[in-house]
Amino acid sequence: MTKSAEIKQVAPPARKRDLWRRALGAREVGVLIALVAVIGVFSVLNRNFLTVDTFGDILTQAAELGIAAVGVTFLMIAGEFDLSVGSNFAVAGVMLALLTTRLGWSPFLSIPLVLAAATSVGFLNGVITLGTRIPSFITTLGTMMFWRGIALAITGGWPIYVLGSSRMLDLLGGMAIYQTVRISALWWLIITLIFWLLLVRTPYGNWTFATGGKPEAARALGVPVGRVKLTNFALAGMLAGFAGFTQFGRMGSMSPVWGDGLPLEAIAAAVIGGTSLMGGAGTILGTVLGAITMASIRVGLIMVGAPSYWYTAFLGAVIVVAVILNVRLGEMMTWRR
Amino acid sequence: MAPIALLEARGISKTFGKVRALHRVDFHINPQEIVGLVGDNGAGKSTLIKILTGVYPPDEGEIYFQGHRVHFSSPKDARALGIETVYQDLALIEQMSIARNFFLGSEIVRRLGILPLLDSRAMEATTEEVLRGLGITSLRSADEEVRVLSGGERQAIAIGRTLHFGAKLLILDEPTSALSIVETQKVLGYIQEAKRRGLSVIFITHNLYHVYPVADRIVVLEHGKKVGDLRKEEASLEDIVNMIAYGGTQA
Repeated sequence: MTKSAEIKQVAPPARKRDLWRRALGAREVGVLIALVAVIGVFSVLNRNFLTVDTFGDILTQAAELGIAAVGVTFLMIAGEFDLSVGSNFAVAGVMLALLTTRLGWSPFLSIPLVLAAATSVGFLNGVITLGTRIPSFITTLGTMMFWRGIALAITGGWPIYVLGSSRMLDLLGGMAIYQTVRISALWWLIITLIFWLLLVRTPYGNWTFATGGKPEAARALGVPVGRVKLTNFALAGMLAGFAGFTQFGRMGSMSPVWGDGLPLEAIAAAVIGGTSLMGGAGTILGTVLGAITMASIRVGLIMVGAPSYWYTAFLGAVIVVAVILNVRLGEMMTWRR
Repeated sequence: MAPIALLEARGISKTFGKVRALHRVDFHINPQEIVGLVGDNGAGKSTLIKILTGVYPPDEGEIYFQGHRVHFSSPKDARALGIETVYQDLALIEQMSIARNFFLGSEIVRRLGILPLLDSRAMEATTEEVLRGLGITSLRSADEEVRVLSGGERQAIAIGRTLHFGAKLLILDEPTSALSIVETQKVLGYIQEAKRRGLSVIFITHNLYHVYPVADRIVVLEHGKKVGDLRKEEASLEDIVNMIAYGGTQA
């Protein structure tokens, strides 16, 4: 009796502190601060930065990266990497372009087929990694080069152009849905919602966290660790392929050299957004904000007239600052207890 | 007259290469009993437990569960009968919430079409209920990450998990070896509560002082042989300490 009375007395202040702890401990705070800082700097430098049009440009720039980064985030939470997403992206875009233009295949056949191929490329990364027990950082470094070579070989190194517009290209990425916002941003939103649901609201998401957090423990409790990793490799491949489709749709052409910076940019978006390089922690929202931050830097630098080389330097600085913020906030959260 | 033992092992021997890890060891545990399995490092405690949980087969000897002869070919077989082992590392994942750890691998779901969705509210409520039932008073919410819990409270998650998922026998491997005195006291409380709710517990330790307060019986192993098997009423702490120190003269 007295025991429960005591608990009730203690409860209210604890709840209040909880809210603070939760707000400060949220993984996305670091990236949110970085994003606000980036927007602040560019708004001061160029008054046109804080407009709907610019935001549309940013979303368009962020969409392809963002779509691929969702898959990469899942995989990183499960404790693995995929450096081949950029090559997979190029192969998928090029294959779709070839099938629909040179061979005249129907998009209804080509899209599922190429998407299945991209998924298989991801799955194969998983099979090689788990089968050989070589770190995925190395196995996918190999497949990254392999598939890039394939993309170059099947195109002879030349981009594939589509003459005129087509409904397929419009729907994949070309169509503007609101001022400067393209339909690729809508695809990104839909994919983000689905994968967010999968990560935080399903047993599969729970297993993904457990697989990256402590595989032995997960296995001891009956989580099929190998299958979870394989599935995440396959999903990363599928989303990389889909990102290639949106790029193809948006540009109306596809070059076999595109997407070579994508793997590291996707990892950067995830890490800026609070995903752990060690696995076991991360959020989809964080990655979305990470991708928007990176695209803001790109668009902002163009608008202030900085030469494009500055993008990489600025991005590098932001990555380091965001990760420091994430780590510091994480420590603060533990102290508050 | 004696009740049917929950788990009984007769004449267990096990040799690894030239090392005789166990020699004709008899061991049993009754329903709702806490047995302390003590002995120095290398006495054979872990080997015995690994045989009882299906990790290794014995070279000789028989195992009976509730009076029936059983052959474990893997830890899964033992677990299917309700024998759960909690190792020192506890199988907890730091960055995940308490409730998600509690239900990992056995999540509660509601179906939305084909999509199984976690029923977080039900998982959190159940976890909080089980943990508070074990005697954790400091728990605020099962939504918090495991890393905010103390070592003793983490043990409670593992113990509570066993209790909730219907195990009959809980084997704890050195549950107090890394804990402070206060935390150790807490864990002993959880173990007694688990017993009160019908569980049998084998408590493995090299520290007799940790297990003596809660054990109904103490089994002492030394160099692969059982040198003592004493009900607490029959032996003082001193008797058992002497037995461990001077080898089994059966008090």
